[in-house]
Amino acid sequence: MKYIIMLFGSQRDYDMLTGKAGDGVAWSAEDVAALHEFMGKWNNELVESGEFVDGRGLSAPVHARRVSLREGAPVVTDGPYAETEEVLAGYTIVETDSFDRATEIAARLARTPHPAGTALQHEWYVDVRPLDGPPEPEI
Amino acid sequence: MSPRNPTEDLLRTLAPQVLGALVRRYGHFDLAEEAVQEALLAAATRWPSDGVPDSPRSWLITVASRQLTDLLRSEQARRRREDRVARWTPPEQWLSPPADRTARESDDTLVLLFLCCHPSLSPASQIALTLRAVAGLDTRQIARAFLVPEATMTRRISRAKQSIRASGIPFRPPTPDERGERLSSVLHVLYLIFTEGYRELSDPADRTDLVAEAIRLTRLVHRLLPEDAEVAGLLALMLLTDARRPARVGPDGTLIPMADQDRGLWRPDQIAEGTALLEATLPRGDVGPYQIQAAIAALHDQAPAAEKTDWAQIAALYEVLMRLSDNPVVRLNHAVAMAMSRGAEAGIELLDRLELDQRLTDDHRLYAARAHLAEMTGDHARARELYEVAARRTTSLAHQRHLRSRAARLPG
Repeated sequence: MKYIIMLFGSQRDYDMLTGKAGDGVAWSAEDVAALHEFMGKWNNELVESGEFVDGRGLSAPVHARRVSLREGAPVVTDGPYAETEEVLAGYTIVETDSFDRATEIAARLARTPHPAGTALQHEWYVDVRPLDGPPEPEI
Repeated sequence: MSPRNPTEDLLRTLAPQVLGALVRRYGHFDLAEEAVQEALLAAATRWPSDGVPDSPRSWLITVASRQLTDLLRSEQARRRREDRVARWTPPEQWLSPPADRTARESDDTLVLLFLCCHPSLSPASQIALTLRAVAGLDTRQIARAFLVPEATMTRRISRAKQSIRASGIPFRPPTPDERGERLSSVLHVLYLIFTEGYRELSDPADRTDLVAEAIRLTRLVHRLLPEDAEVAGLLALMLLTDARRPARVGPDGTLIPMADQDRGLWRPDQIAEGTALLEATLPRGDVGPYQIQAAIAALHDQAPAAEKTDWAQIAALYEVLMRLSDNPVVRLNHAVAMAMSRGAEAGIELLDRLELDQRLTDDHRLYAARAHLAEMTGDHARARELYEVAARRTTSLAHQRHLRSRAARLPG
């Protein structure tokens, strides 16, 4: 079965990660390098084990465009999210023998390195969801 | 998959024989496998324009041997750099009879299958390696069949080859003691390839047809082991199941359960072939799980209408299956067959006992079966409730839609 592991973040998280001075804790270059190294290793292990299917990181929420309908016509809104709204920040699709195995892979992300005081420390989460697929065959 | 042509068919038939000949003579399964892929590629590009050589098998063995020599040389150089002594004899220095002899073709293909399906490999590795080394598919085709990137499939295959190398599994037939277990392992891998393909509802227009591959490989094993009843049983099961493929999906892409299928769309030639295989095999008395599952499939296929299905006989066959292995899904199917032959109450009682089986607690199939039996008793409120429980438990949206439509059409 294939599963998607989804990571979330807000515009504020992105800003801290990219060193924006402000009220939050900014990440240093070393912090970011450690993060990239950790994620790269996590990803490579999946390639090596033959379980990796696809994975991407998304650009900051501020670049999002929303297309909605207003009086029957499509209208485009730029950057529709609030500063602290958690939205999809990245995903990895794996093919594993079980949901438990996919969950175990996702759980390793809990050890993602981060500077003290960032959101990662208290309210971190990732979601694991089975992809839609054909039902069990009738044999 | 690209349209099949005679060259491709010939190459894929020869692939396991050429690989077997090379490994038997030189060892180095992992490198030999790569060398054979190169030789197949060379043939696929040259034969269509230059014509097929008089002895295509010898041609392939010669080209693959040369390729293997090159690979071994670079391997040896690499090892020397790593300060390790490599012990191998280049093919041109061998004094044994040439690799190109026909007496053991069939043995080689079988030994190869036993190797690729070795129990020490993970199922994903067994499947990938079998499709490449025995079915002669290339990595790209296998990756497309499983909808994963080529790099992922490459890793699965190379991991499998590393495991074989590391565990030092010899290239020889299994001993009489091992043989039963090792053959079960081969049949299980073929069955997994079949179900993986059968799970797909859409027509595999641009994808490798794994159902066709599984049937082709099982036919090959049946040709090599015509006396083995379970091999024949597995081939019959595949044919009798695949016979229903044209009727499985509605025009809107939804799954149609067997009871509602248009039986006029089932393939009579496959039903006839599967049935004949079973009739020749069952009387031998060496009955195993694949033959029994095939017999159940045959009873379904032979019923001119769903209500004419011989459920009593199917229930009896599931009882035999339960004696062979303790599988909760088999017990579930048995309960449904009992309900169909003796009335819903008989089935409900069996399902209540199954309720306690931890392995089925979250399985939507248990609730779908319970819903179906509640519907049979006329308890529509209970059936609706159970269809909904089942619908929430399946991860397949198509299946969810099907279960909810069953609930929606209940009167009252």
